[in-house]
Amino acid sequence: MKLIDLKNIKFPTKKDEEFRKIDLSSLFEYSFKDKKDYIIDLNLVQKDKVSSKNNELYKINQDLDSKNYELNIKEDTKEPIVIVHVLAEDDIINTNTLNIKVEKNVKASVIEVFLSSCKNTFYSVNRVFEVEESANLNYFKYQDIKQSNSLIINAIIDLKNNATIEHNSYEIGDGFNLSIYETSLDNVESSLNINGLVRLYKEAHSSSIFNTLHNNKSSFSSINYKHSLHDHSKAVFEAKSIVNENGNFSKVRQNSKTILLSDDATIFAKPHLEISIDELEASHGATVGSLNREQLLYLRSRGIEESKAYEMLLKAFENEIYDNIKDQKIKEFITNFKRSDYV
Amino acid sequence: MLNIKNLKVNIDNKEILKGLDLKINPGEIHVLMGQNGTGKSTLVKTLSAHYDCEVIEGDITYKNKNLLDLDVNERANEGIFMSFQNPVEVPGVNNSYFLRTAINEKRKYNNQEELDTMEFLKLSKKELGRFDIDKKLMQRDLNDGFSGGEKKRNELMQLLLLKPELIMLDEIDSGLDVDAIKTVAEVVNDLLAQDKSRSLLMITHYDRLLSLIKPDFVHVLKDGKIVKTGDYNLALELDSKGYEGIGINDEIN
Repeated sequence: MKLIDLKNIKFPTKKDEEFRKIDLSSLFEYSFKDKKDYIIDLNLVQKDKVSSKNNELYKINQDLDSKNYELNIKEDTKEPIVIVHVLAEDDIINTNTLNIKVEKNVKASVIEVFLSSCKNTFYSVNRVFEVEESANLNYFKYQDIKQSNSLIINAIIDLKNNATIEHNSYEIGDGFNLSIYETSLDNVESSLNINGLVRLYKEAHSSSIFNTLHNNKSSFSSINYKHSLHDHSKAVFEAKSIVNENGNFSKVRQNSKTILLSDDATIFAKPHLEISIDELEASHGATVGSLNREQLLYLRSRGIEESKAYEMLLKAFENEIYDNIKDQKIKEFITNFKRSDYV
Repeated sequence: MLNIKNLKVNIDNKEILKGLDLKINPGEIHVLMGQNGTGKSTLVKTLSAHYDCEVIEGDITYKNKNLLDLDVNERANEGIFMSFQNPVEVPGVNNSYFLRTAINEKRKYNNQEELDTMEFLKLSKKELGRFDIDKKLMQRDLNDGFSGGEKKRNELMQLLLLKPELIMLDEIDSGLDVDAIKTVAEVVNDLLAQDKSRSLLMITHYDRLLSLIKPDFVHVLKDGKIVKTGDYNLALELDSKGYEGIGINDEIN
């Protein structure tokens, strides 16, 4: 079976503005041997399906009859809820659809890990993050999908009054990875904080697309990504934030920083703001460079050999993302994480 | 210890050092003086293998080795230490981790066992405790947000812990108050007293530091060469008469 044969989906092509630098044609044309709904080993209830207004890829799971489950968090989590996805079978389309709902005034932490030990497998993941009034969700995604496998995550973020999501990602797999975030900040003083590290090697390809609408007053959005790109890897960062006439006193930030560590590594970074009002704070920027030569010399002038100094500076660049993670338990998870414990 | 013969160095294809000769024996204190742009900093940067400096001609022998064959970190591990005029800020690299790594790289180079965290803390407490150096600098990121004085103190911390054999100080006294200059002198004099074969090459424009660290030789550079050498009295004469007063005008040939 081929994805391209699914009815009712207008698959994006390189002619679509957001996908100009993302080539999905080989994935859509690939002939998979079967499809499977990935089952999460948690006590989840089945829910009605959610649809996306703007993201056609969201429909893949619906067309493949992926069941929509809900993880409803009704009280503060003492430890993060950890969901580990391991793709193990070759040539399969896996689907998974989950609403993560955090009830009013609740503070929750959720970690999702995406790993693979197979070949030519595709994982289509739909997520809805529903954070109720004055609730707080700390979410961490660790993606280490290996070469020849593909992962597409379609996320819809729904924040009620005074709700906050701290969404952190580590994208380190050397497969194909695409994450599309769709957020409409329709309620007052809602806060979206997306923080990501993209560390790629070999032929890895990782793209992140963010569409954010500030549709009520005093809402906050910050999208902060760091990319360290080695070998022939390629990353795409496209952030579009719109502040409409309802969005007075909003704060909007977009930032992409990239270090290219090989002549063949590529970044396409496009921060983009559309603002219809005057009463707001907004900033956006993208930088691309290599490691600082002066810093490298300083470390080496104290006897530290080149490769070690290089490693220290790269870690320092990447550590800002780790430092931005507010949940201590998530930081502990990252420190102690070993892929070999799961694959 | 160090023997420089006919050294010619370019920066950005411009010849800065134009055939410089200098010999430093173990235990000697040398001072480089001269007007701006005469090549003082270029000399110490060349000795520590700074990427700006392109050696065109000449020989540099250090501890009977061809220094030009050694790269930056090898020179450091052979005992050469240059304090930077304006040390670069390195956010994200913890100062304590940096210092321990530097010490352990040197120990590894000398086939000594590496220090663990506790041994390092013990050593740093012992070495730094004797001087007026704020140990809190160790907990911060390397030079990140440091004031000019804090950066210089951080260079002194590195000196104390790395214990180099050839210390090169490039205007370490610039921008420091009287008390801070006194701390610099105390640290340097202590290191020189600990090991009588340790040498010092120092660049300064002021007599204040020289009154606290008495040099054996004072060299005056002009247009990329040493044009006059004397003892501490030459520095005193320079301080009172200026360069023209001792027959060195600012005309660059």
